[in-house]
Amino acid sequence: MNKGYNGHKLKEMERKGELVMLNVKKVSKIYEGKIAYPALTDIDLTINEGEFVGIMGPSGSGKTTLLNMIATIDEPTTGEIVINGHNPHQLKKEALAKFRRRELGFVFQDFNLLHTLTVEENIVLPLTLDGKKVKEMKQKADDIAEKLGISSIMKKRTYEISGGQAQRAAVARAMIHGPKLLLADEPTGNLDSKSSRDVMEMLEAINKKERTTMMLVTHDAQAASYCNRVVFIRDGKFYSEIHRGDNRQAFFQKIIDTLSLMGGDAHDLSTIRV
Amino acid sequence: MTFRQFAFNNVIRNKRLYAAYFLSSLFTVMVFFTFSIFANHPALSGNEMNANVTKGMNISAGIIYVFSFFFILYSMSSFLQSRKREFGLLMIQGMSMKQIRMMVFLENMVIGFFATLGGIFIGVVFAKGILLIAENVLIIESALPFYFPTQAIILTFASFIVLFFLISLFVTYVLRSKKLIELIKGNKISKGEPKSSLFLTLAAVILLVIGYTTALLAKGPVVVVVMLPVIVVVMVGTYLLFTQLSVYIIRRLRKKESIFWFKTNMLLFSDLAFRMKDNARTFFMVAMVSTVAFSAIGTLFGFQSFLTSGIKHVNATTFSYQSNEKESVKKDVEFINQTLKEEKIVADTEHMDMNYYDHANDTILITKSSDFNRFASLINEKQVKVPDGQVIVVEYEGPNMGQIRKPLDETIKLESGFTLKPGKDGVISSRALPASDTYYIVSDRDFEKLPNPVEVQSFYAWQVTDGEAGIMTASEKLYQHLERYKIFSVEYEIYEIMKFYGPILFVGLFIGIVFFVSAGSFLYFRLYMDLDEDKQKFSSISKMGLTEKELKKVLNRQTAILFFAPILVALVHGAVALTALSNLFSFNLFKESITVLGVFLMIQIIYFFIVRHFYTKQIKTVL
Repeated sequence: MNKGYNGHKLKEMERKGELVMLNVKKVSKIYEGKIAYPALTDIDLTINEGEFVGIMGPSGSGKTTLLNMIATIDEPTTGEIVINGHNPHQLKKEALAKFRRRELGFVFQDFNLLHTLTVEENIVLPLTLDGKKVKEMKQKADDIAEKLGISSIMKKRTYEISGGQAQRAAVARAMIHGPKLLLADEPTGNLDSKSSRDVMEMLEAINKKERTTMMLVTHDAQAASYCNRVVFIRDGKFYSEIHRGDNRQAFFQKIIDTLSLMGGDAHDLSTIRV
Repeated sequence: MTFRQFAFNNVIRNKRLYAAYFLSSLFTVMVFFTFSIFANHPALSGNEMNANVTKGMNISAGIIYVFSFFFILYSMSSFLQSRKREFGLLMIQGMSMKQIRMMVFLENMVIGFFATLGGIFIGVVFAKGILLIAENVLIIESALPFYFPTQAIILTFASFIVLFFLISLFVTYVLRSKKLIELIKGNKISKGEPKSSLFLTLAAVILLVIGYTTALLAKGPVVVVVMLPVIVVVMVGTYLLFTQLSVYIIRRLRKKESIFWFKTNMLLFSDLAFRMKDNARTFFMVAMVSTVAFSAIGTLFGFQSFLTSGIKHVNATTFSYQSNEKESVKKDVEFINQTLKEEKIVADTEHMDMNYYDHANDTILITKSSDFNRFASLINEKQVKVPDGQVIVVEYEGPNMGQIRKPLDETIKLESGFTLKPGKDGVISSRALPASDTYYIVSDRDFEKLPNPVEVQSFYAWQVTDGEAGIMTASEKLYQHLERYKIFSVEYEIYEIMKFYGPILFVGLFIGIVFFVSAGSFLYFRLYMDLDEDKQKFSSISKMGLTEKELKKVLNRQTAILFFAPILVALVHGAVALTALSNLFSFNLFKESITVLGVFLMIQIIYFFIVRHFYTKQIKTVL
């Protein structure tokens, strides 16, 4: 990413009094092997509080590697990642797990719900692990279920609900502890277009109402068009960045244009739905 | 790639997936094989006693074979359960059910063949080890030599190839008519949390209570009568305990959110409930098999100490000589003293005449206090003082071998009209004289007034103070030269019992160990069936943030429940069974029971730590 621009923007924001939620500074990731493979090179990224940022790029561009490092699941080879003023990679293992549990929320492509639990139990799991009071957990679970429209399936088991419902439940689980940063990895990857739209609209609504900072990694231009800003990376490097105006439809078209300009494989665009 | 190559490669290249099943099979073969090595051992098929042992071992081998069949069948079916998705995938690729059955059949035969060969090989090594232990620990006079067990190898190989063939056929039958959609959804759908009914839950409690109380309250020969019904009742009770009561309790816990929703409990209990159907079956088998192991070994140890303690209790001195043939006494005693001298044994010695008197159609031993005191001081026991006109009763305390206990507090009236009244010291217990019955002490003056005894036994006792090393050699000489009923050496008698009892004890011990280790293998297998599922689960939870401490806590409890729930039940069963046994013999087996059960618990704890270590390590690889 253009460092000068970014530094300039950072200062500008600080002046405006906006808080930086995520700051990725010159992060590189090299996978060691017989032939060392650079997955990411010198990535800079700043996300402010309340922003909804999409990360796009062709397969193998390093999107998921970047997400995993922000998610603190993976460590950068060089560079630094600061989330809400903390560098989680300096924390010890135990503290890191607690940091993830309290500060971050995760939504995955394959939902990652535990099939031994009911929907409600899945949703309260992060709070349960933290030893919260039952009354508080129930209250929070009911609130969030109401907001996400899944109150009717709370007692059901995971194999009894549809993909869209499962992803809503997963979002509810990611949101229940009020995370500072919500990370979503291809949340629409396993969903049909109707469910995709529902989930994205829901995320957008949460972003607006709760002012939760969100970062979304996706292939899906339709899903990306719900973000405020989309960052494109190619071959592990920053490629470009576009901002959404008032019109989502126009933003969607801009995303498509950028993607074709980048020249990813044709099938990377196959998920485009209008 | 031909179809047969495909099936073969499927096994060879998926080693880890097949490892658990393969190892269980291999282990079962090994157990059976080592067992048949002993059953066919040339040294154990000689005289009449050993023929009985061999017969017993052959029956046991049969039982182990049946047990192996069910164990391998069970292992196989849960192994297939975890491969449902794979089958679904293959069917989508166009594989017919017939071909899948063929594949499973071939796979199973490949595994069976190698498991049989491997089991026999390891069995030879294991048997060598066991024989070494047998030689050193147990007294088997003609120590069992190691031999190359051709017969056992042929027997094992043939039996298990047949067994795997039958199981392969049986399993392909089980696999019929599974819907594709069920296969693809595979393990996501619960195998069904077993339903618990209140009636059966109560039945579990009631049956166990009835079984236990009956077993504990029964005394003497009644124990034998109630044994079979109690075993059946407790077995049914145990089955219901695991399939109903446990489910009932877990459900109650799940409903109670203050417990279920507390920290890692949610992960633990939800898994318990989810797997309860499989667990219940395993728990039941493990509990029953371990109970058999505990009871068998406990009984054998108990019986051994019952026999030896009887001897030790009655005979406090190293050697004793007892005879009523006045002519030979002097010569015999001289011979004994001579022999002791030859073997450089130094011993204190005492002599007395034991006088027996008629009393109520029985003869009783009455002794004067000075005689008693001399023998008491020989074994460092307290001396007694008996006032004139009174009597001290020495109660018999050793194991009951059918004597009728006489009331001890009533006045004794001899046939001749002489009466004895119990004094204020009343009843004591002492090992001074070798009586297997209650006897009486009177003052020296009263003793003179007694009528003529009906029988007089000349009694000599030697208490060795130095040169203990020569006792066995001396005993051998004495036993050769003197009549068996006259001479008595505690050490030699115990040695004789052990010599007779050794092989029986050894076989029993071996069966017990085999059963116990099999139970452990059941549990290991049960745990590893869930490994992949657990890996997946913990990797998704750890992304959300699960500390290593919490992970360890969950795994620790999960493994602990698996390892200790059935064993604790088995320990309680075993304790009750051994208590019933001690009631049968009216002999306190407390020490033996505690030792046997304690040793098993220790082994289980060690086993638990080892398995937990490796399981946790496995899970951590995916985090």
